[in-house]
Amino acid sequence: MQILTQLIFSGIALGMIYAVIAFGYQLTFATSDTLNFGQGDALMLGALVGLTLVTLGVNYWLMIPLVCLFGAVQGAVVERIGVRPAIKIKSEFGWIMSTIALGIIFKNVAENVWGRDDLKFPSPLPEAPIKFLNANVLPMEILVVVGAILMMLAVELFNRRSIYGKAVVATFNDRDAAKLMGINTGLVITFSYALSSLTAAFAGVLIAPLTLTGATMGAVLGLKAFAVAIIGGLTSGMGIILGGIILGIAETTTGFYLSTGYKDVPGLVLLLIVLAVRPAGLFGKTAIKKV
Amino acid sequence: MLFRFKLLAVAGAVAFSAGAFAADPIKIGVDGPFTGGSSSMGVSMRDGVRLATEEINKSGGVLGRQIQLVERDDEAKNERGVQIAQEFINKEKVVAVVGYINTGVALASQRFFQEAKIPVLNNVATGSIITHQFDKEPENYVFRNAAHDSIQAPMIVEEAVTRRGFKKVAILADSTNYGQLGREDLEKALKAKGITPVAVEKFNIKDVDMTAQLLKAKEAGAEAVLTYGIGPELAQIANGMTKLGWKVPMVGSWTLSMANFIDNAGPGGDGARMPQTFIQEPTTPKRKAFIASYLGSFKPKNNRIDSPVSAAQGYDSIYLLAAAIKQANSTEGPKILAALEDLKTPVEGVVTTYTKPFAKGDHDAITANIPVFGEVKGGRVNYANADDMKKAATVQLKNNAANDALLKP
Repeated sequence: MQILTQLIFSGIALGMIYAVIAFGYQLTFATSDTLNFGQGDALMLGALVGLTLVTLGVNYWLMIPLVCLFGAVQGAVVERIGVRPAIKIKSEFGWIMSTIALGIIFKNVAENVWGRDDLKFPSPLPEAPIKFLNANVLPMEILVVVGAILMMLAVELFNRRSIYGKAVVATFNDRDAAKLMGINTGLVITFSYALSSLTAAFAGVLIAPLTLTGATMGAVLGLKAFAVAIIGGLTSGMGIILGGIILGIAETTTGFYLSTGYKDVPGLVLLLIVLAVRPAGLFGKTAIKKV
Repeated sequence: MLFRFKLLAVAGAVAFSAGAFAADPIKIGVDGPFTGGSSSMGVSMRDGVRLATEEINKSGGVLGRQIQLVERDDEAKNERGVQIAQEFINKEKVVAVVGYINTGVALASQRFFQEAKIPVLNNVATGSIITHQFDKEPENYVFRNAAHDSIQAPMIVEEAVTRRGFKKVAILADSTNYGQLGREDLEKALKAKGITPVAVEKFNIKDVDMTAQLLKAKEAGAEAVLTYGIGPELAQIANGMTKLGWKVPMVGSWTLSMANFIDNAGPGGDGARMPQTFIQEPTTPKRKAFIASYLGSFKPKNNRIDSPVSAAQGYDSIYLLAAAIKQANSTEGPKILAALEDLKTPVEGVVTTYTKPFAKGDHDAITANIPVFGEVKGGRVNYANADDMKKAATVQLKNNAANDALLKP
């Protein structure tokens, strides 16, 4: 029993790491039907900028807003350079290549600025584990879970309650109608990219003390997060959290009960099943695309 | 005016051709990953090579000629290594090559040197097969002065099982060739002691969570964890142990001395043990001088050489090569090869004094008696056994009998 609790706790912590990254995919998809495939690299840039600030002597908590600001600017740049031209000419796939290309550029820049070694991100909380229900949890893992949930709640609240959020939702529901109603949909899409990279940068500094920080940290994590976004559903914030937790627990339990060589398999099998049975994701709303 | 120009041209041409006779430098290629995950080893190796070259050039060079290094970054990529090999051979026309950190890059690149009859001195890569890739050909141009994997794995088992008495051990190895070949070697060495590992687990490069692997080892009652992987993931293992509150000794391949393991694992990495050919301690006058001039020239952080083993082996590789060129009295590949296989004068290096380091059919300079066990403590690698440190002043010479003793079942 103790083992299972430990596996589930570790799985939840791991899953929340995936979920915070996956959340960014959902944000841009909601407004523009496009994804930022450089999400993992936005995360990496956030973590490395955060690390630089911390080494310069900025307090961890004070550094977070600065990194968020950086993320927002970076996201807006991606949208302006990579996504807007593609949307303008109504290209179905142009944005895929351009966000991937920008992601690679960001990675190469980071390799030149910070080197290609994995660096240690000093933990703002004690690194000794806490006993909880007979299993060990790191304080930093609790921070990731709490931080991720708070961030998602904040974004959801913003979308549902504020007038700007309503513009975002309106853009999602019908871009052309929203435009006719006087909503500057272009700005809304830029904003959603800024917000998505902001969450990625925030996620970066949140998870960096647990993962290790380096130019290549985004690649694997971004891919896993993509799987989470598909499993959970690209239109549902709640689904992303649950999708993350499902994938995280699937990885740790398979690793223990089956074989560590196969620990990535069940998550991907689940991905295939979801794609076959519920293409909109476990919690996504099925949308009928009118052609 | 025209006449003066002509005179200048003639004078210049004379000076140039005279220079070409007297001080045409000996070009040596240096290949390693100077950026990326293995860069701490690559850069330390390169700095060791630079240090030795500078010393040799200051005292007049080899055969009255200066050594000129041609350094290239292979980024730990096989295809880069191949490009560099061709550049070394066709464009730079190097006399010999030192370097290679990654076994894969070494294997991909050295066949070109074998064909071009240019000697290669591997100074860091440990894959057992490296020096045996061309065993079947009449001449093998590949040499090595690093502790290869087929002696490292038995040494790890010897340390964990015989010296420290752990009978239940778990193996954690990464899913790369390096990790999986190492795991095989470990299992073989354990079998020779009549031990089956209680758990054999795998992890991927960039894995961030090791809970499942560690819990399996813990539940199986492992008293020690034997590792074969590289720095960042090894650090995640140490961090995972801290998280689970389960602390058993880590014993593993020499990568446990990598700076990115020590830095990322922090206090959790203390106590990890690994075979080392050199530990940054001034135990002999030669080592003292080496450490002092390395720290003086390159000023590493906290006066810690990032990878002391790579630096020392890099340094030694140049002295071995210089000795061979001197003995051959030539820079032709086949003559250097013949000299390396039969070095008449001992070469005093940092790791050991090389007396007959190579022979035909035996291109590995390091035998099992030379490496000692290092232990991570307080962010550095120290001698694991106080006895080893006391004995360190006596330099261990190459001894093939030690290999046989270790490898016999």
